[in-house]
Amino acid sequence: MVLLRLFSFLLGHVSLVVRGEFLEKFVNLAASRGIYLWDITRLENDKVRVKVRISDVRPLRHIARATQSSFKVRERRGMPFMINRLKKRKLLAIGGIAFLITLYFLSSFVWFIGVTGNDKLSDEQIKKIAAQAGLRPGVAKWELEPKEIEKIIREQLPSVAWAGVYIKGTHVIIEIAERKLVQEEPHKGPAHLVAGKAGLIKEVLVLNGQAKVKEGETVLPGSILISGEILQEVKPEASNQPLPEGQEPSAPQYVSHFVQAKGIVRARVWYEGYGECRLAETVEKRTGQEKISFCIKFRGKEIIISGPKESPYQHYEVKKIVKSLPQWRNIGIPVEVTTVHYLEKVVSRLNHGLTGAKQIAEQKAMAEISAKLPKDAKIVERRLEVVDTGQHEDLVRVKAFVETIEDIGVIKPLKTHEEARD
Amino acid sequence: MSLRDLQRKFKKQFSDFFEIPRDIMLDLPKIVLVGNLQVFIENHRGIVEYTVEKVRIKVGEGEVGITGHDLMLRNIKMDEICVEGHIKSLCFLEPGEVW
Repeated sequence: MVLLRLFSFLLGHVSLVVRGEFLEKFVNLAASRGIYLWDITRLENDKVRVKVRISDVRPLRHIARATQSSFKVRERRGMPFMINRLKKRKLLAIGGIAFLITLYFLSSFVWFIGVTGNDKLSDEQIKKIAAQAGLRPGVAKWELEPKEIEKIIREQLPSVAWAGVYIKGTHVIIEIAERKLVQEEPHKGPAHLVAGKAGLIKEVLVLNGQAKVKEGETVLPGSILISGEILQEVKPEASNQPLPEGQEPSAPQYVSHFVQAKGIVRARVWYEGYGECRLAETVEKRTGQEKISFCIKFRGKEIIISGPKESPYQHYEVKKIVKSLPQWRNIGIPVEVTTVHYLEKVVSRLNHGLTGAKQIAEQKAMAEISAKLPKDAKIVERRLEVVDTGQHEDLVRVKAFVETIEDIGVIKPLKTHEEARD
Repeated sequence: MSLRDLQRKFKKQFSDFFEIPRDIMLDLPKIVLVGNLQVFIENHRGIVEYTVEKVRIKVGEGEVGITGHDLMLRNIKMDEICVEGHIKSLCFLEPGEVW
């Protein structure tokens, strides 16, 4: 019934008022000719209103003539009339269509970005990184790759344990789960200052505690530089009787009290780095050429709609984007649309030459060291050495040595005897 | 007994014997009444009279009369009629019977 109504709306229908003596005859005749009439209501004694499809109006004229009745069109409904009306108001139609297109077009952009779940990180910080990854208001949705953005956010912000990027209409929600960094509270109690690295002590500046090392000594990691335990000699009371003859003064007694050792211990520290480089290298580089193939996957069957089946390039990289319909409860629609990008690559052979290769190897070796260096380290010496294995090979190996002077002290909490007993 | 009656009797027995639905065999109308709001009549022969208070529909040999108020023919097809409105009564009329 509803379908029929819809059908008649699409085809268009008119409402007629029929005037005549033999209206029953008119209706019977129409029905027997296969003309579908509906909503027949009696208005007056000789008047009846009927609804009929546009296409059936013409045959009805013959029937009206045969039954000596006449009809007038009272109402026109349906798509054909609407289209006719719109034809008269072309600008309105154009405006309507333009509106729909604009709406559709604008809805395919991201306009709002929301950040949830962040605790310590500010929204702006996350949005800034998202913007670097290509997620900013106004960006087209088809260019977004949530997985990539998630990855970049995770990589850029180490305190983010997990990031989720969801596109909901024109909104993008970045969900963040922050890593709960257990921040060690600065130790308040007694502590030693121990060596963090092996090195040769250059200078010792004690602010609190008792120095255990002298300049020029070599220390290993973990050895105490400045002790938090201060030993104080307890002098025997002055009022004591003079010691009897022959009796040795008793061994000096110490009372230790504990402090937090403070100070600066600078030491020479050595670092070693290694880098190598081939004289000739093969390098892969994208040319920017790409071929895209679309395919629909349905229950394990892949149907390629457009694009090549195999990569058209000899050297290439494959980027696959799988789009599937959202799952509702446990019901998933087993249709997936896969877009495969074949990115062409050019394999070129780079010839560095001996000096070039050496330079690259040196850079690598230095880079390895500088990753290890603390911020306040002062480099005093830098030495590069080409390792000669004695064999002839097309590889340059470089060892780099760096000597720095830096503060090697690390605070290590000290268990006092009382605590140790607990 | 006329020939027509004989024919009808034979048809009835025939349909009983072979369990053929009678509305098909005997050319009877199938009437569905939905409360007092709607009547569907299948296998009709056309309307005889239609006013807001009274509808008569030719059916097989006789007629079906519907009374009520605000009656309206929802749709009419070759062999199906749907009447809507407040239905008061529905009766079967012999051919030629004045109602």
